[in-house]
Amino acid sequence: MTASARMLDRFAKSKGAEPMRILGASGQLGYGVPTPAFSAGLDRQPHLIGCDMGSIDIGPYYLGSGELATAPAATRRDLRKVLLGALKLKVPLVIGSAGSAGAKPHLDQTLTTLREIAREGGLHFRLGVLHADIAKGVLEAALRENGVVPIDDMPTLDEAEVDAAENIVGQMGMSAFQRALAAGIDVVVAGRACDTAIFAALPAMVGFPVGPAQHMAKIIECASLCCVPGGRDSILATLDHDGFELESMAPQRRATPVSVAAHSLYEQSDPFTVQEPEGRLDLRRATYHAIDDRRTRVCGAAWEHAEIPRVKIEGARRVGERAVLLCGTADPRFIAGHEQLLKQVEIVVRDLVCEDAAEDYVLSWRVYGVDGVRMTPIAQTSPPPEAFVMAECIAPTRERAAEVVRTTKQYLLHHGYEGRLCTGGNMAFPFTPPEVSVGPAYRFNIYHLMRAADLDALFPLEIETI
Amino acid sequence: MQLQDFAQVVRSKNAGPRRLTLDLIFRNDADYQRAAQAHALTPERIAPLYGVAADAVTVINYPFGRAIKIVVPRRIMSGDPGDRDVYGAQQHTPLLELEI
Repeated sequence: MTASARMLDRFAKSKGAEPMRILGASGQLGYGVPTPAFSAGLDRQPHLIGCDMGSIDIGPYYLGSGELATAPAATRRDLRKVLLGALKLKVPLVIGSAGSAGAKPHLDQTLTTLREIAREGGLHFRLGVLHADIAKGVLEAALRENGVVPIDDMPTLDEAEVDAAENIVGQMGMSAFQRALAAGIDVVVAGRACDTAIFAALPAMVGFPVGPAQHMAKIIECASLCCVPGGRDSILATLDHDGFELESMAPQRRATPVSVAAHSLYEQSDPFTVQEPEGRLDLRRATYHAIDDRRTRVCGAAWEHAEIPRVKIEGARRVGERAVLLCGTADPRFIAGHEQLLKQVEIVVRDLVCEDAAEDYVLSWRVYGVDGVRMTPIAQTSPPPEAFVMAECIAPTRERAAEVVRTTKQYLLHHGYEGRLCTGGNMAFPFTPPEVSVGPAYRFNIYHLMRAADLDALFPLEIETI
Repeated sequence: MQLQDFAQVVRSKNAGPRRLTLDLIFRNDADYQRAAQAHALTPERIAPLYGVAADAVTVINYPFGRAIKIVVPRRIMSGDPGDRDVYGAQQHTPLLELEI
């Protein structure tokens, strides 16, 4: 009997009498799962182990390139740890947003690693794989039927942008995971997914109210981040038919009513509402009560089912090749005049590299110590003693981007300006070469909601016996 | 008194790649009330700090968490060429010195 079949059977028989324990093992699988708290979580005999593995926060590079944000060795260590834990307890292991961005290349790399771990350890299990890639034809058909709307102030999507995207994924919701669990699996690995669906799918399926199940999921997908002090250690949620209790598996982390309530703010533009493909979580009547100084009970979340599901679609397109120049200065004259000096250097560089080629690149500066971090400039009170200067070039080819930053380096170093005393050179290079070719640059070109009548067709399930 | 002198948390982060969410969390109800009633924390006063229009700024009071959430649009989408802060985690600083 598979782990998911065992759990479905067990909760069907208990008819709601037995609370469900769910272990939020990691909010970012592949960055390290602290062993003491994870082991303490296993000792509590959870009925499901869930891990979120991705996010859109990491920027467009990973979705565009197909690469993982996490290191292969750390990814393998974490996958092995949670797999062994789930197989030992014979409970479902549910992993969402595989490989950072959840498109096919990310899912494939995650599955390859998982199969290698199984082969090395002689492990056998039934694996459900959920795909999140949205075919361009599907998205274009939805566009033609006016079924795609921008999120926030994104531009209206057109076919040219769809065509230009390297990878396009949709965030699957609970229904996709429920198909996998119903099919009988020990492990589910999903492409891009709502982090809540990982944890809420099973309880919602066996009759727990969706509101508290989704609210619980929204909190434990970040592991112990909802605690004071917040951290990455595993967290245990115990769900019943009225609400749920939270307890960090790291003894020093306390889930308090205020810390848990405040977590509803995290990375959300609205602390009272969470939009999901199949509906909307309403937290306006949520209540938070201390059980003791380490545990909090949460009740009152409501769920509004959506008649027509809407799926969040993400896509990234290549914008060129990126190269950067890294250097610094401590010269007060250079720092005081940097705005004008950098413009002068830009012109010198342009005249050289465009002598026999088009001006086909964008060169931009960040002057750390002055305006490298803030998105909105502020009035400078006093000049900093040092500044770090980063020049960034995005050009059509790697060679062109490298040419521009190498030329920039030389003319920035030796730019002669009014009042200059340091004729030996303007910049300090911490090492050479100070120019770095970073690789392709991407940007998000799709961040839209798509109406989807048939979620099953959108997120196909494959079953594999390992 | 400046916000940084009595707030427990002043943080920023992306809420999706086109929005910044700024969360202010306070130690006790008195501090929360003081901030919730402050004129400095209105869309009109916050908008210029982020170079956006006042009607693009949302301020949400969240008494359960003794918190105030401010949502502003990012002028450059996360990770677009020219971005300075992909995660949006260092855009809280214009709020630190606000007089409350």
